[in-house]
Amino acid sequence: MIRVSLSEKLAAIVRRDVLTTIRYRNGFLLSAVGVLAEVVAFRYMARAIGPSFRPEGVDYFPFLLVGSGFYTFLITGVQAFLSTVQEAQQTGTLEVLLTTATPAPVLIFLSAFSAFAGKLANLVLFLAVGLLLFRVPLLHPNLLGVGLIFVLSLAVVLALGVFAAALQVAVQKGSAVIWLLGSVWFLTGTVFPVSALPLPLRWAAWSIPVTHSLTGMRGALLLGKSTSELAPEILWLSAAALVLIPASLGFFSRVLGRGRREGTLSAY
Amino acid sequence: MNAVVFNSVTKRFQHRPALFNWLGRERSGATEALRRVSLHVPKGEALVLLGPNGSGKTTTLKLISTMLIPDEGAVAICGADTLQEGGTVRRKVGFAAANERSFFPRLTARENLDFFAVLEDVTKQERGARVEEKLGLTGLADAGDTLVMKFSSGMYQRLGVARALLKNPEVLLLDEPTRSLDPGSALRFWPFVRELLSGGTTLVLTTHNFQEAAAVADRIVVLRRGEVRSERSFGRGATDTPSTDLPSTDHPRNALPSNCRPSLDEVKAFYFQATGDGEDAPAFETAL
Repeated sequence: MIRVSLSEKLAAIVRRDVLTTIRYRNGFLLSAVGVLAEVVAFRYMARAIGPSFRPEGVDYFPFLLVGSGFYTFLITGVQAFLSTVQEAQQTGTLEVLLTTATPAPVLIFLSAFSAFAGKLANLVLFLAVGLLLFRVPLLHPNLLGVGLIFVLSLAVVLALGVFAAALQVAVQKGSAVIWLLGSVWFLTGTVFPVSALPLPLRWAAWSIPVTHSLTGMRGALLLGKSTSELAPEILWLSAAALVLIPASLGFFSRVLGRGRREGTLSAY
Repeated sequence: MNAVVFNSVTKRFQHRPALFNWLGRERSGATEALRRVSLHVPKGEALVLLGPNGSGKTTTLKLISTMLIPDEGAVAICGADTLQEGGTVRRKVGFAAANERSFFPRLTARENLDFFAVLEDVTKQERGARVEEKLGLTGLADAGDTLVMKFSSGMYQRLGVARALLKNPEVLLLDEPTRSLDPGSALRFWPFVRELLSGGTTLVLTTHNFQEAAAVADRIVVLRRGEVRSERSFGRGATDTPSTDLPSTDHPRNALPSNCRPSLDEVKAFYFQATGDGEDAPAFETAL
Protein backbone atom coordinates (compact mmCIF):
# COMPACT_ATOMS: atom_id res chain seq x y z
CA MET A 1 0.00 0.00 0.00
CA ILE A 2 1.60 3.28 -1.14
CA ARG A 3 0.43 6.23 0.94
CA VAL A 4 3.00 8.84 -0.12
CA SER A 5 3.60 9.44 -3.82
CA LEU A 6 7.01 9.27 -5.49
CA SER A 7 6.85 12.97 -6.34
CA GLU A 8 6.26 13.79 -2.67
CA LYS A 9 9.26 11.66 -1.70
CA LEU A 10 11.39 13.29 -4.37
CA ALA A 11 10.32 16.73 -3.12
CA ALA A 12 11.34 15.75 0.43
CA ILE A 13 14.77 14.55 -0.74
CA VAL A 14 15.34 17.67 -2.86
CA ARG A 15 14.29 19.87 0.07
CA ARG A 16 16.74 18.04 2.35
CA ASP A 17 19.57 18.54 -0.14
CA VAL A 18 18.73 22.20 -0.82
CA LEU A 19 18.55 23.00 2.90
CA THR A 20 21.85 21.23 3.50
CA THR A 21 23.52 23.08 0.61
CA ILE A 22 22.37 26.56 1.55
CA ARG A 23 23.27 26.02 5.20
CA TYR A 24 26.89 25.56 4.14
CA ARG A 25 26.72 29.30 3.57
CA ASN A 26 30.28 30.01 2.47
CA GLY A 27 30.54 26.85 0.40
CA PHE A 28 27.39 27.82 -1.48
CA LEU A 29 28.73 31.30 -2.30
CA LEU A 30 32.21 30.03 -3.19
CA SER A 31 30.68 27.53 -5.58
CA ALA A 32 28.82 30.33 -7.38
CA VAL A 33 32.01 32.41 -7.57
CA GLY A 34 33.86 29.37 -8.96
CA VAL A 35 31.28 29.03 -11.75
CA LEU A 36 31.70 32.69 -12.72
CA ALA A 37 35.49 32.45 -12.69
CA GLU A 38 35.39 29.40 -14.95
CA VAL A 39 33.19 31.16 -17.52
CA VAL A 40 35.48 34.19 -17.59
CA ALA A 41 38.55 31.94 -17.99
CA PHE A 42 36.93 30.14 -20.94
CA ARG A 43 36.05 33.45 -22.57
CA TYR A 44 39.65 34.62 -22.56
CA MET A 45 40.97 31.20 -23.56
CA ALA A 46 38.70 31.30 -26.64
CA ARG A 47 39.85 34.84 -27.43
CA ALA A 48 43.51 33.77 -27.18
CA ILE A 49 42.95 30.89 -29.59
CA GLY A 50 41.33 33.26 -32.07
CA PRO A 51 38.18 33.37 -34.23
CA SER A 52 39.51 31.10 -36.97
CA PHE A 53 39.09 27.98 -34.82
CA ARG A 54 35.44 26.96 -35.34
CA PRO A 55 34.99 23.34 -34.15
CA GLU A 56 31.83 21.64 -35.48
CA GLY A 57 30.93 24.92 -37.23
CA VAL A 58 30.52 27.10 -34.14
CA ASP A 59 32.65 29.73 -32.40
CA TYR A 60 35.04 28.25 -29.87
CA PHE A 61 33.61 30.07 -26.82
CA PRO A 62 30.05 28.66 -27.10
CA PHE A 63 31.59 25.27 -28.05
CA LEU A 64 33.60 25.36 -24.84
CA LEU A 65 30.75 26.81 -22.79
CA VAL A 66 28.23 24.11 -23.70
CA GLY A 67 30.76 21.26 -23.72
CA SER A 68 32.43 22.09 -20.44
CA GLY A 69 29.22 23.20 -18.68
CA PHE A 70 27.27 20.10 -19.62
CA TYR A 71 30.18 17.72 -18.98
CA THR A 72 30.79 19.28 -15.56
CA PHE A 73 27.09 19.01 -14.76
CA LEU A 74 26.99 15.31 -15.62
CA ILE A 75 30.18 14.36 -13.80
CA THR A 76 29.71 16.51 -10.70
CA GLY A 77 26.17 15.12 -10.44
CA VAL A 78 27.58 11.60 -10.14
CA GLN A 79 30.17 12.89 -7.70
CA ALA A 80 27.61 14.73 -5.55
CA PHE A 81 25.44 11.64 -5.34
CA LEU A 82 28.39 9.47 -4.42
CA SER A 83 29.37 11.94 -1.69
CA THR A 84 25.84 11.72 -0.29
CA VAL A 85 26.12 7.93 -0.10
CA GLN A 86 29.62 8.10 1.45
CA GLU A 87 28.46 10.59 4.10
CA ALA A 88 25.42 8.44 4.84
CA GLN A 89 27.72 5.46 5.37
CA GLN A 90 30.01 7.40 7.68
CA THR A 91 27.20 8.74 9.86
CA GLY A 92 25.21 5.50 9.85
CA THR A 93 22.28 7.20 8.12
CA LEU A 94 22.41 4.77 5.20
CA GLU A 95 21.42 1.77 7.32
CA VAL A 96 18.54 3.72 8.82
CA LEU A 97 17.34 4.96 5.43
CA LEU A 98 17.37 1.43 4.10
CA THR A 99 15.06 0.24 6.87
CA THR A 100 12.33 2.76 6.08
CA ALA A 101 9.14 1.81 4.26
CA THR A 102 10.55 3.23 1.00
CA PRO A 103 12.15 0.48 -1.11
CA ALA A 104 15.92 0.88 -1.38
CA PRO A 105 16.14 1.13 -5.21
CA VAL A 106 13.48 3.87 -5.21
CA LEU A 107 15.26 5.74 -2.47
CA ILE A 108 18.63 5.53 -4.17
CA PHE A 109 17.26 6.60 -7.55
CA LEU A 110 15.41 9.60 -6.08
CA SER A 111 18.51 10.61 -4.12
CA ALA A 112 20.59 10.48 -7.29
CA PHE A 113 18.00 12.57 -9.09
CA SER A 114 18.15 15.16 -6.32
CA ALA A 115 21.95 15.33 -6.52
CA PHE A 116 21.68 16.19 -10.22
CA ALA A 117 18.95 18.73 -9.54
CA GLY A 118 21.40 20.50 -7.24
CA LYS A 119 24.02 20.64 -9.96
CA LEU A 120 21.43 21.84 -12.48
CA ALA A 121 21.44 25.22 -10.71
CA ASN A 122 25.18 25.46 -11.40
CA LEU A 123 24.68 24.54 -15.06
CA VAL A 124 21.94 27.13 -15.54
CA LEU A 125 24.11 29.79 -13.89
CA PHE A 126 27.10 28.75 -15.98
CA LEU A 127 25.23 28.91 -19.29
CA ALA A 128 23.25 32.03 -18.39
CA VAL A 129 26.36 33.97 -17.43
CA GLY A 130 28.23 32.78 -20.49
CA LEU A 131 25.43 33.40 -22.98
CA LEU A 132 24.14 36.68 -21.54
CA LEU A 133 27.30 38.31 -20.22
CA PHE A 134 29.33 37.58 -23.32
CA ARG A 135 26.37 37.92 -25.70
CA VAL A 136 26.57 34.60 -27.47
CA PRO A 137 23.89 34.55 -30.19
CA LEU A 138 21.68 31.45 -30.22
CA LEU A 139 20.33 30.95 -33.76
CA HIS A 140 17.04 29.05 -33.67
CA PRO A 141 17.85 26.57 -30.92
CA ASN A 142 15.82 23.34 -31.07
CA LEU A 143 14.35 23.41 -27.57
CA LEU A 144 12.62 20.06 -27.96
CA GLY A 145 15.95 18.55 -28.99
CA VAL A 146 17.68 20.25 -26.04
CA GLY A 147 15.07 18.76 -23.70
CA LEU A 148 15.35 15.27 -25.19
CA ILE A 149 19.15 15.21 -25.09
CA PHE A 150 19.08 16.58 -21.55
CA VAL A 151 16.59 14.01 -20.23
CA LEU A 152 18.32 11.08 -21.92
CA SER A 153 21.77 12.21 -20.76
CA LEU A 154 20.41 12.58 -17.26
CA ALA A 155 18.98 9.05 -17.38
CA VAL A 156 22.37 7.67 -18.43
CA VAL A 157 24.35 9.46 -15.75
CA LEU A 158 21.72 8.66 -13.10
CA ALA A 159 22.42 5.04 -13.89
CA LEU A 160 26.17 5.69 -13.61
CA GLY A 161 25.51 7.38 -10.26
CA VAL A 162 23.59 4.35 -8.99
CA PHE A 163 26.40 2.13 -10.26
CA ALA A 164 28.95 4.26 -8.37
CA ALA A 165 26.79 4.02 -5.22
CA ALA A 166 26.60 0.25 -5.60
CA LEU A 167 30.36 0.05 -6.00
CA GLN A 168 30.74 2.21 -2.90
CA VAL A 169 28.55 -0.15 -0.86
CA ALA A 170 30.21 -3.24 -2.35
CA VAL A 171 33.89 -2.36 -2.10
CA GLN A 172 33.84 1.16 -0.57
CA LYS A 173 35.41 2.55 -3.74
CA GLY A 174 32.63 4.19 -5.72
CA SER A 175 35.14 6.89 -6.57
CA ALA A 176 36.52 4.47 -9.18
CA VAL A 177 33.59 5.42 -11.43
CA ILE A 178 34.42 9.13 -11.06
CA TRP A 179 38.06 8.36 -11.79
CA LEU A 180 37.07 6.41 -14.89
CA LEU A 181 34.76 9.14 -16.16
CA GLY A 182 37.36 11.80 -15.40
CA SER A 183 40.14 9.92 -17.15
CA VAL A 184 38.26 9.76 -20.45
CA TRP A 185 37.19 13.41 -20.53
CA PHE A 186 39.58 14.19 -23.39
CA LEU A 187 37.73 11.63 -25.54
CA THR A 188 34.32 13.18 -25.02
CA GLY A 189 34.78 16.35 -27.07
CA THR A 190 34.56 18.65 -24.06
CA VAL A 191 37.23 21.19 -25.05
CA PHE A 192 38.14 20.09 -28.57
CA PRO A 193 36.20 18.16 -31.22
CA VAL A 194 36.35 14.37 -31.38
CA SER A 195 37.37 14.70 -35.05
CA ALA A 196 40.80 15.90 -33.87
CA LEU A 197 41.50 12.45 -32.39
CA PRO A 198 43.17 9.60 -34.31
CA LEU A 199 40.74 7.01 -35.65
CA PRO A 200 41.11 4.33 -32.91
CA LEU A 201 40.49 6.94 -30.22
CA ARG A 202 37.52 8.26 -32.18
CA TRP A 203 35.96 4.81 -31.95
CA ALA A 204 36.62 4.79 -28.24
CA ALA A 205 35.09 8.26 -27.98
CA TRP A 206 31.89 7.17 -29.66
CA SER A 207 31.43 4.34 -27.17
CA ILE A 208 31.19 6.85 -24.32
CA PRO A 209 27.63 8.12 -23.70
CA VAL A 210 28.81 11.59 -22.61
CA THR A 211 30.31 12.16 -26.08
CA HIS A 212 26.83 11.79 -27.58
CA SER A 213 25.37 14.03 -24.89
CA LEU A 214 27.77 16.84 -25.76
CA THR A 215 27.43 16.42 -29.52
CA GLY A 216 23.64 16.35 -29.25
CA MET A 217 23.44 19.30 -26.88
CA ARG A 218 25.68 21.48 -29.07
CA GLY A 219 23.75 20.46 -32.16
CA ALA A 220 20.36 21.31 -30.63
CA LEU A 221 21.36 24.46 -28.76
CA LEU A 222 24.04 26.09 -30.93
CA LEU A 223 23.33 24.77 -34.43
CA GLY A 224 19.54 24.41 -34.19
CA LYS A 225 19.64 20.88 -35.63
CA SER A 226 16.22 19.31 -36.13
CA THR A 227 15.12 16.36 -34.02
CA SER A 228 15.58 14.00 -36.97
CA GLU A 229 19.14 15.30 -37.44
CA LEU A 230 19.74 14.53 -33.77
CA ALA A 231 18.39 10.98 -34.20
CA PRO A 232 21.81 9.21 -33.94
CA GLU A 233 22.51 10.84 -30.57
CA ILE A 234 18.93 10.33 -29.35
CA LEU A 235 18.93 6.66 -30.32
CA TRP A 236 22.36 6.02 -28.84
CA LEU A 237 21.48 7.68 -25.53
CA SER A 238 18.08 5.92 -25.39
CA ALA A 239 19.72 2.54 -25.88
CA ALA A 240 22.36 3.32 -23.24
CA ALA A 241 19.66 4.42 -20.76
CA LEU A 242 17.53 1.34 -21.43
CA VAL A 243 20.48 -0.94 -20.71
CA LEU A 244 22.18 0.98 -17.90
CA ILE A 245 19.20 1.90 -15.68
CA PRO A 246 17.91 -1.63 -15.03
CA ALA A 247 21.47 -2.97 -14.92
CA SER A 248 22.59 -0.45 -12.31
CA LEU A 249 19.46 -0.90 -10.17
CA GLY A 250 19.83 -4.69 -10.40
CA PHE A 251 23.48 -4.42 -9.41
CA PHE A 252 22.58 -2.13 -6.52
CA SER A 253 19.93 -4.56 -5.24
CA ARG A 254 22.40 -7.45 -5.37
CA VAL A 255 25.03 -5.41 -3.55
CA LEU A 256 22.47 -4.40 -0.95
CA GLY A 257 21.55 -8.02 -0.31
CA ARG A 258 25.21 -8.87 0.08
CA GLY A 259 25.71 -5.88 2.41
CA ARG A 260 22.80 -7.04 4.56
CA ARG A 261 24.21 -10.55 4.65
CA GLU A 262 27.77 -9.46 5.50
CA GLY A 263 26.89 -6.47 7.68
CA THR A 264 28.91 -4.05 5.57
CA LEU A 265 26.26 -1.46 4.64
CA SER A 266 27.98 1.16 6.74
CA ALA A 267 31.55 0.06 6.07
CA TYR A 268 33.55 2.83 4.43
CA MET B 1 0.47 -14.32 18.55
CA ASN B 2 4.25 -13.91 18.42
CA ALA B 3 5.52 -10.54 17.24
CA VAL B 4 9.10 -11.76 16.85
CA VAL B 5 10.28 -15.29 16.16
CA PHE B 6 13.91 -16.38 15.83
CA ASN B 7 14.13 -19.93 14.57
CA SER B 8 17.61 -21.35 15.09
CA VAL B 9 19.31 -18.25 13.72
CA THR B 10 23.03 -18.14 13.03
CA LYS B 11 24.82 -14.98 11.93
CA ARG B 12 28.47 -14.91 10.92
CA PHE B 13 30.65 -11.97 9.95
CA GLN B 14 33.42 -12.77 7.52
CA HIS B 15 36.82 -11.16 7.88
CA ARG B 16 38.32 -10.38 4.50
CA PRO B 17 41.97 -9.48 4.86
CA ALA B 18 43.65 -7.19 2.36
CA LEU B 19 45.26 -8.62 -0.78
CA PHE B 20 48.74 -8.23 0.63
CA ASN B 21 48.01 -9.43 4.13
CA TRP B 22 51.66 -10.21 4.78
CA LEU B 23 52.17 -6.44 5.11
CA GLY B 24 49.93 -6.42 8.18
CA ARG B 25 48.25 -8.91 10.42
CA GLU B 26 44.55 -8.65 9.68
CA ARG B 27 42.61 -11.67 10.90
CA SER B 28 40.83 -13.96 8.50
CA GLY B 29 37.98 -16.44 8.95
CA ALA B 30 34.62 -15.56 10.46
CA THR B 31 33.13 -14.39 13.73
CA GLU B 32 29.95 -16.15 14.75
CA ALA B 33 27.87 -13.31 16.20
CA LEU B 34 24.81 -15.49 16.86
CA ARG B 35 24.72 -19.26 17.07
CA ARG B 36 21.45 -21.17 16.60
CA VAL B 37 19.44 -18.62 18.55
CA SER B 38 15.74 -19.34 18.98
CA LEU B 39 13.50 -16.73 20.54
CA HIS B 40 9.82 -15.91 20.65
CA VAL B 41 8.49 -12.52 21.72
CA PRO B 42 4.72 -12.51 22.22
CA LYS B 43 2.82 -9.45 21.01
CA GLY B 44 2.87 -6.68 23.59
CA GLU B 45 5.78 -8.06 25.58
CA ALA B 46 8.87 -6.14 26.66
CA LEU B 47 11.91 -8.31 26.11
CA VAL B 48 15.23 -7.07 27.45
CA LEU B 49 18.48 -8.46 26.07
CA LEU B 50 21.36 -8.40 28.53
CA GLY B 51 24.88 -9.54 27.88
CA PRO B 52 28.50 -8.48 27.80
CA ASN B 53 29.95 -6.52 24.87
CA GLY B 54 30.07 -8.63 21.74
CA SER B 55 27.42 -11.05 22.96
CA GLY B 56 25.14 -10.47 19.94
CA LYS B 57 22.53 -8.04 21.32
CA THR B 58 22.78 -5.41 18.58
CA THR B 59 23.09 -8.11 15.91
CA THR B 60 19.77 -9.50 17.17
CA LEU B 61 18.11 -6.10 16.75
CA LYS B 62 19.64 -5.61 13.30
CA LEU B 63 18.30 -8.99 12.21
CA ILE B 64 14.80 -7.97 13.32
CA SER B 65 15.05 -4.61 11.50
CA THR B 66 16.32 -6.26 8.24
CA MET B 67 19.59 -4.32 8.42
CA LEU B 68 21.07 -7.81 8.47
CA ILE B 69 19.77 -11.10 7.15
CA PRO B 70 20.54 -14.44 8.78
CA ASP B 71 23.03 -16.94 7.41
CA GLU B 72 21.04 -19.86 8.77
CA GLY B 73 17.60 -20.12 10.26
CA ALA B 74 14.79 -17.60 9.89
CA VAL B 75 13.48 -14.44 11.54
CA ALA B 76 9.78 -13.61 11.31
CA ILE B 77 8.09 -10.40 12.42
CA CYS B 78 4.32 -10.59 12.95
CA GLY B 79 4.34 -13.58 10.61
CA ALA B 80 6.45 -11.96 7.86
CA ASP B 81 9.85 -13.47 7.03
CA THR B 82 12.61 -10.85 7.07
CA LEU B 83 14.30 -12.34 4.03
CA GLN B 84 11.26 -12.96 1.82
CA GLU B 85 9.03 -10.09 2.98
CA GLY B 86 11.50 -7.40 3.99
CA GLY B 87 9.23 -4.56 2.85
CA THR B 88 6.37 -5.77 5.05
CA VAL B 89 8.71 -6.14 8.01
CA ARG B 90 10.11 -2.64 7.58
CA ARG B 91 6.60 -1.16 7.85
CA LYS B 92 6.13 -2.84 11.23
CA VAL B 93 9.49 -2.28 12.93
CA GLY B 94 10.89 0.94 14.39
CA PHE B 95 14.57 0.86 15.33
CA ALA B 96 16.33 3.40 17.52
CA ALA B 97 19.92 2.43 16.79
CA ALA B 98 22.75 3.11 19.20
CA ASN B 99 24.48 5.17 16.50
CA GLU B 100 23.56 8.66 17.60
CA ARG B 101 24.83 10.50 14.56
CA SER B 102 22.56 8.90 12.01
CA PHE B 103 20.78 12.15 11.16
CA PHE B 104 21.27 14.96 8.68
CA PRO B 105 23.34 17.40 10.72
CA ARG B 106 22.32 20.56 8.89
CA LEU B 107 18.61 19.92 9.21
CA THR B 108 16.67 20.78 12.33
CA ALA B 109 15.17 18.05 14.49
CA ARG B 110 11.73 18.82 13.05
CA GLU B 111 13.05 18.75 9.46
CA ASN B 112 14.81 15.45 10.10
CA LEU B 113 11.68 13.85 11.49
CA ASP B 114 9.54 15.28 8.71
CA PHE B 115 11.96 13.84 6.14
CA PHE B 116 11.94 10.37 7.69
CA ALA B 117 8.14 10.54 8.08
CA VAL B 118 7.82 10.98 4.30
CA LEU B 119 10.01 7.93 3.70
CA GLU B 120 7.96 5.99 6.24
CA ASP B 121 4.84 6.71 4.19
CA VAL B 122 3.18 8.93 6.81
CA THR B 123 0.64 10.92 4.81
CA LYS B 124 0.82 14.68 4.46
CA GLN B 125 -2.37 15.09 6.48
CA GLU B 126 -0.96 13.17 9.45
CA ARG B 127 2.69 14.17 9.15
CA GLY B 128 2.82 17.51 10.95
CA ALA B 129 0.85 16.33 13.95
CA ARG B 130 2.81 13.06 14.09
CA VAL B 131 6.16 14.87 14.13
CA GLU B 132 5.00 17.28 16.83
CA GLU B 133 3.64 14.40 18.90
CA LYS B 134 6.92 12.48 18.78
CA LEU B 135 8.97 15.60 19.52
CA GLY B 136 6.75 16.24 22.53
CA LEU B 137 6.88 12.62 23.72
CA THR B 138 10.67 12.62 23.72
CA GLY B 139 10.99 16.03 25.35
CA LEU B 140 12.37 17.74 22.26
CA ALA B 141 9.49 20.11 21.48
CA ASP B 142 11.56 23.17 22.41
CA ALA B 143 14.52 21.96 20.36
CA GLY B 144 12.51 21.21 17.23
CA ASP B 145 14.01 24.10 15.25
CA THR B 146 17.61 23.51 16.34
CA LEU B 147 20.05 22.05 13.81
CA VAL B 148 20.82 18.54 15.05
CA MET B 149 24.56 19.17 14.63
CA LYS B 150 24.19 21.27 17.78
CA PHE B 151 22.54 18.48 19.77
CA SER B 152 24.10 16.79 22.78
CA SER B 153 24.45 12.99 22.80
CA GLY B 154 21.36 12.66 24.97
CA MET B 155 19.29 14.78 22.58
CA TYR B 156 20.47 12.67 19.64
CA GLN B 157 19.40 9.59 21.52
CA ARG B 158 15.94 11.00 22.18
CA LEU B 159 15.62 12.05 18.57
CA GLY B 160 16.48 8.50 17.56
CA VAL B 161 13.62 7.21 19.69
CA ALA B 162 11.28 9.85 18.19
CA ARG B 163 12.26 8.69 14.70
CA ALA B 164 11.68 5.03 15.57
CA LEU B 165 8.20 5.94 16.83
CA LEU B 166 7.21 7.93 13.71
CA LYS B 167 5.52 4.98 12.00
CA ASN B 168 3.76 3.88 15.20
CA PRO B 169 5.59 0.55 14.95
CA GLU B 170 4.18 -2.77 16.05
CA VAL B 171 7.67 -3.78 17.15
CA LEU B 172 9.96 -1.19 18.71
CA LEU B 173 13.69 -1.88 18.94
CA LEU B 174 15.75 0.20 21.37
CA ASP B 175 19.52 -0.28 21.39
CA GLU B 176 20.87 0.97 24.71
CA PRO B 177 18.34 3.82 24.71
CA THR B 178 19.51 5.54 27.89
CA ARG B 179 23.25 5.18 27.35
CA SER B 180 23.74 8.92 26.90
CA LEU B 181 20.87 10.18 29.04
CA ASP B 182 21.40 11.85 32.40
CA PRO B 183 20.05 9.83 35.37
CA GLY B 184 16.95 12.00 35.71
CA SER B 185 16.02 11.64 32.04
CA ALA B 186 16.60 7.90 32.22
CA LEU B 187 14.27 7.60 35.22
CA ARG B 188 11.57 9.45 33.25
CA PHE B 189 12.28 7.41 30.11
CA TRP B 190 11.39 4.01 31.58
CA PRO B 191 7.76 4.80 32.52
CA PHE B 192 7.45 6.40 29.08
CA VAL B 193 8.47 3.10 27.49
CA ARG B 194 6.01 1.18 29.68
CA GLU B 195 3.32 3.62 28.58
CA LEU B 196 4.07 2.79 24.95
CA LEU B 197 3.60 -0.88 25.71
CA SER B 198 0.13 -0.28 27.05
CA GLY B 199 -0.82 0.57 23.45
CA GLY B 200 0.10 -2.97 22.36
CA THR B 201 3.61 -2.25 21.03
CA THR B 202 6.12 -5.06 21.36
CA LEU B 203 9.50 -3.97 22.68
CA VAL B 204 12.94 -5.48 22.31
CA LEU B 205 15.53 -3.49 24.22
CA THR B 206 19.24 -4.03 24.76
CA THR B 207 21.03 -2.61 27.75
CA HIS B 208 23.95 -2.98 30.12
CA ASN B 209 21.95 -1.25 32.83
CA PHE B 210 20.35 -3.59 35.38
CA GLN B 211 18.10 -0.81 36.66
CA GLU B 212 16.76 -0.27 33.15
CA ALA B 213 16.14 -3.99 32.72
CA ALA B 214 14.30 -4.11 36.03
CA ALA B 215 12.17 -1.09 35.15
CA VAL B 216 11.13 -2.24 31.70
CA ALA B 217 11.34 -6.02 31.29
CA ASP B 218 8.56 -8.54 31.16
CA ARG B 219 11.21 -11.04 30.24
CA ILE B 220 14.99 -11.00 30.20
CA VAL B 221 17.22 -12.97 27.88
CA VAL B 222 20.91 -13.19 28.65
CA LEU B 223 23.18 -13.59 25.63
CA ARG B 224 26.81 -14.55 25.82
CA ARG B 225 29.11 -15.21 22.89
CA GLY B 226 26.19 -15.36 20.51
CA GLU B 227 24.16 -17.89 22.44
CA VAL B 228 21.10 -17.61 24.65
CA ARG B 229 22.44 -18.54 28.07
CA SER B 230 19.21 -18.15 29.98
CA GLU B 231 15.86 -16.42 29.89
CA ARG B 232 13.30 -15.66 32.52
CA SER B 233 9.84 -14.15 32.59
CA PHE B 234 8.82 -11.93 35.45
CA GLY B 235 5.36 -11.33 36.86
CA ARG B 236 2.39 -13.43 37.95
CA GLY B 237 2.98 -17.13 37.47
CA ALA B 238 6.26 -16.51 35.69
CA THR B 239 9.04 -19.07 35.92
CA ASP B 240 12.43 -19.66 34.39
CA THR B 241 11.79 -20.84 30.87
CA PRO B 242 13.89 -23.09 28.67
CA SER B 243 15.49 -20.97 26.00
CA THR B 244 13.82 -22.48 22.95
CA ASP B 245 10.35 -23.49 24.12
CA LEU B 246 8.56 -20.29 24.99
CA PRO B 247 4.78 -20.41 24.75
CA SER B 248 3.44 -18.56 21.75
CA THR B 249 0.64 -16.61 23.39
CA ASP B 250 -0.33 -12.98 23.77
CA HIS B 251 1.44 -11.53 26.71
CA PRO B 252 -0.73 -10.95 29.82
CA ARG B 253 1.31 -7.93 30.91
CA ASN B 254 -1.58 -5.53 30.88
CA ALA B 255 -3.28 -7.63 33.54
CA LEU B 256 -0.27 -7.50 35.83
CA PRO B 257 0.01 -5.08 38.72
CA SER B 258 3.02 -2.77 38.53
CA ASN B 259 4.64 -4.38 41.54
CA CYS B 260 5.23 -7.48 39.39
CA ARG B 261 8.33 -5.84 37.89
CA PRO B 262 11.53 -7.66 38.79
CA SER B 263 13.63 -6.09 41.50
CA LEU B 264 17.13 -4.82 40.76
CA ASP B 265 18.59 -7.59 42.92
CA GLU B 266 16.61 -10.24 41.08
CA VAL B 267 17.93 -9.00 37.73
CA LYS B 268 21.52 -8.89 38.95
CA ALA B 269 21.34 -12.36 40.49
CA PHE B 270 19.78 -13.76 37.34
CA TYR B 271 22.38 -12.13 35.09
CA PHE B 272 25.40 -13.28 37.05
CA GLN B 273 24.00 -16.77 37.39
CA ALA B 274 23.37 -16.92 33.65
CA THR B 275 26.73 -15.57 32.58
CA GLY B 276 28.69 -17.50 35.18
CA ASP B 277 30.33 -14.27 36.28
CA GLY B 278 29.07 -14.65 39.83
CA GLU B 279 32.46 -14.74 41.51
CA ASP B 280 33.58 -11.61 39.65
CA ALA B 281 30.33 -9.77 40.25
CA PRO B 282 31.62 -6.84 42.29
CA ALA B 283 34.38 -6.04 39.78
CA PHE B 284 32.04 -6.48 36.86
CA GLU B 285 29.41 -4.16 38.34
CA THR B 286 32.02 -1.52 38.94
CA ALA B 287 33.05 -1.79 35.32
CA LEU B 288 29.45 -1.29 34.23
